[in-house]
Amino acid sequence: MRWRHPAVVCLIAALGLVPAAGKAGGISVRDAWIREAPPGAPLMAGYLELRNTTSRPQVLVAASSTGFESVMMHRTMVKDGMAGMEHLSQIELAPNVSLIFAPGGNHLMLMNPKRALRAGDAVVIKLEFRGGLVLPVTFAVRK
Amino acid sequence: MNKISRDFSIMVTTVALLAVLAGVWLADIDRAYDSRATLLPDQVMTLFSDPKPLTAFALTDDENRVFDLESLKGKWSFLFFGFTHCPDVCPTTLAVLAHARDNIARSTVGAENVQFVFVSVDPNRDTAGKLRQYVDYFDATFVGVTGDNAQIASLAGQLGAPYRVAITPGVENYPVYHSTAVFLVDPRARYHAVFTPPLDAEAISRRFKVVRELEGDNAA
Repeated sequence: MRWRHPAVVCLIAALGLVPAAGKAGGISVRDAWIREAPPGAPLMAGYLELRNTTSRPQVLVAASSTGFESVMMHRTMVKDGMAGMEHLSQIELAPNVSLIFAPGGNHLMLMNPKRALRAGDAVVIKLEFRGGLVLPVTFAVRK
Repeated sequence: MNKISRDFSIMVTTVALLAVLAGVWLADIDRAYDSRATLLPDQVMTLFSDPKPLTAFALTDDENRVFDLESLKGKWSFLFFGFTHCPDVCPTTLAVLAHARDNIARSTVGAENVQFVFVSVDPNRDTAGKLRQYVDYFDATFVGVTGDNAQIASLAGQLGAPYRVAITPGVENYPVYHSTAVFLVDPRARYHAVFTPPLDAEAISRRFKVVRELEGDNAA
């Protein structure tokens, strides 16, 4: 039986022990949030924790949202005492491993929000995985 | 009560007790070391035994006024170098600093003679108006300053704050590289200490309290 079988997916979902903001195809999501930004700030960052509960690697290949002009996967890198951003074209999640997007590390760079986002708002960002799985995740805007 | 739930209760109680004891122990350590001992170079802050006096520089603040060496005198200044098109490090750091300022403002000595300065290394995009709006969001007392590259380099060089702006024609979001440290300049405009990531508001305000007490009238 392959992991993609609906019954297995349901079983995996049912076994989830932690409250998840979203869950599909064996990828669970926790603590998806966007830092509220100053008014007019052109760039924001989204953070979350992803966990691959399947027995094979999952590859995050893109993220998109109707709430922003564009969404990119970035990582803050510190080199020679300077922080800079590195664009990531894909991120692999090994089986049963969590991938954390957090301040100072991996983040979703959110460009030009379509409307001003304030703490308390929610925005959906779709995470696209290799093989066609699309996981819509609701991000809470907070300070 | 069945055995499993009783065992579970005992475990929870034990964990809770251990947590309380650990908290008391850590608080004791904190009190015992709330002295010069904590001020040795550590994960939070490096304090210089012989603070280096800064020399003349000239920048412009977010209301188009001169911000120079004189602007640093008579106040403790926390300085951070960044840019407003920065989605991750800059807002994270400024949020921590705003929280640290709240802590300092609530302390007995207050934040009257303390200023927080955001130095934009990206004057090409960060006009005075944009800087004002940006820093204001984090804390109404924060000051945004910038200047031309030579002017920024003059201050950044003295603090050892590396930065690089890779302006690329036609690219809206060109890369900007900047220091992640927070620099503390004393009221005599001397480079007094530096905080390095991971930055924590409580740790910063607690260390600053001790630095200020140690300096007393010396720094003023």
